[in-house]
Amino acid sequence: MDHPAHAPPAGAPIQSDGLTRRFGSTVALHPLDLTVGLPERGSIVGLLGPNGSGKSTFMRLLVGLVRPDAGKARVDGVQLSGDGTAVRRRTTYAPGELHMYSEMRASEHLAWLLRGRDPGALARATEAALEFGLPLDQRVRGYSHGMKRQLIFAAAIAPKVRVRILDEPTEGLDPSIRSTILDRLERDAQDGTTVLLSSHHLPEVGRSCERLVFMNEGKLLADTTAEEVARRSARVLRLGWDAGVDVSKMEARLREAGVEVRSADDNGVSVQLDAPDPRPFLGQLASMSEWPAPNRIEHGSLSMAELYRELYGVEGC
Amino acid sequence: MGREFKSVVWRSLGFAVILETMIAAAIIWWPSFAENIGTIKSLASPIPMLRDMVSSLEAGGIAAYVTGQHYFKACNTLGAAAAVLFAVGAVAGEVHRGTLELWLARPVSRVRLLTERYLFGIAAVALPVFATSASIPWLLSTVDETMQMSDLMRCSLHASLFLMAIYSLTFLWSAMGTQPTRIAMAVLFLAIFQFAIYMVKTITHYSLFRLVDIETFVEITSKNQLNWSIVGGLIAVNLVCYGAALFAFQRRVP
Repeated sequence: MDHPAHAPPAGAPIQSDGLTRRFGSTVALHPLDLTVGLPERGSIVGLLGPNGSGKSTFMRLLVGLVRPDAGKARVDGVQLSGDGTAVRRRTTYAPGELHMYSEMRASEHLAWLLRGRDPGALARATEAALEFGLPLDQRVRGYSHGMKRQLIFAAAIAPKVRVRILDEPTEGLDPSIRSTILDRLERDAQDGTTVLLSSHHLPEVGRSCERLVFMNEGKLLADTTAEEVARRSARVLRLGWDAGVDVSKMEARLREAGVEVRSADDNGVSVQLDAPDPRPFLGQLASMSEWPAPNRIEHGSLSMAELYRELYGVEGC
Repeated sequence: MGREFKSVVWRSLGFAVILETMIAAAIIWWPSFAENIGTIKSLASPIPMLRDMVSSLEAGGIAAYVTGQHYFKACNTLGAAAAVLFAVGAVAGEVHRGTLELWLARPVSRVRLLTERYLFGIAAVALPVFATSASIPWLLSTVDETMQMSDLMRCSLHASLFLMAIYSLTFLWSAMGTQPTRIAMAVLFLAIFQFAIYMVKTITHYSLFRLVDIETFVEITSKNQLNWSIVGGLIAVNLVCYGAALFAFQRRVP
């Protein structure tokens, strides 16, 4: 993908300096200092968090859809001001909420979405949509949720910009299409684009994003890498037993045996391993013959909820 | 832009066809009306406001009849409904269908988005009034009557400004609200209430429809000039409502 004629600005493509927003008495985003992307090359940064964690509010603030109560932001070298039109000219934004003009044909909708973009954007978006196999002469009312999502993505990927802000671009898509979209974003990043994407799918952001930003309750929880998350996930082992087994007793016995229990609930117990390899611990567990054997052992692949609970001690993801 | 334009074309075409049908039927019926004015007056006598209206038509001749039929009756009733329907979805409609974020996410300023929508809506309300008024001289020639085109255009401007004020008020409400149906019902209720007041002789002077009644239009045609105090007031209302809508829209959160 070519980029706009203007020279790339110095500094990170996205800089948030104390951006803050409250809705009534609720603080949707506490003062957030964050830089996203690298000035010298493209990259994909994942923004993760449960519903209501402030991801979408942050993204909307960045493109001027919501005005900040305090703080400043720069996107591709442009200071966010007024209604953010100057920023939106230098970025593409795909909303997470998927509502479209159902009476329009998909081809018309693409043209409508790309108003104000470079002259070749519509042709590139059309090409992308056709690659997805979308019937562009059909009215959008006949589109499924996934097809609408792909149409929005085709419009978001087409313009020549250096920054793309995508709110859950793969939500509701089947794995193969999710993979296609991530491939496309990876190529885009290799061509020098900075992509900030939010997602609930940890494996996919782990695959594509070199940096992961975790948010919760409008605050930055962690700013880390996929490798670091994987490394930490590998030291967490989750054990589950049959319904008849008293998990609280199991938890107590594990603690007595000197095992660090990170969390426990009706479904099982999570323990912290000393090393990424779970075999020594499992061997130790097997040697305790008087214990009921666990019927579920999960290692190294945490869901978003588990990740939040196990690594950051946050419930309700 | 294309979507807005298409929408305006269809809306104003529909509004114009209805207005034209009504004025054509009224003019064709004029000889019969003129012949039976005495009977109509006696039928209207139990309702003082109606009786006064018929008296105005009798005294004003064809000019009063045409302005009464076209501007007072058709434009005020259908036009008010059209103005409300055209304006109510401007922003609240986007909120209601969930497309506000998509509409705002493009690299187009909010001032431009709202101004385009406002002006297209204004055009959809006003153009049919002017276009159908332009056909009146030809329609009148079929019943051997005449009216000055310049008088008709002045009346069209006056009537349009009143409809634009209703449009602008609804537009402002739409820029602040989320429920288009409720907004439409509220504005239409206010309009009907104002018209009801107009029909009650003792309180008629409280009605906004006094600004656009037969006497007002007859005065415009007889003096060959606009009533600038009313026109100025209506322009001010439009500008204030548009400015307030813009202010509200700038702060709107999708």
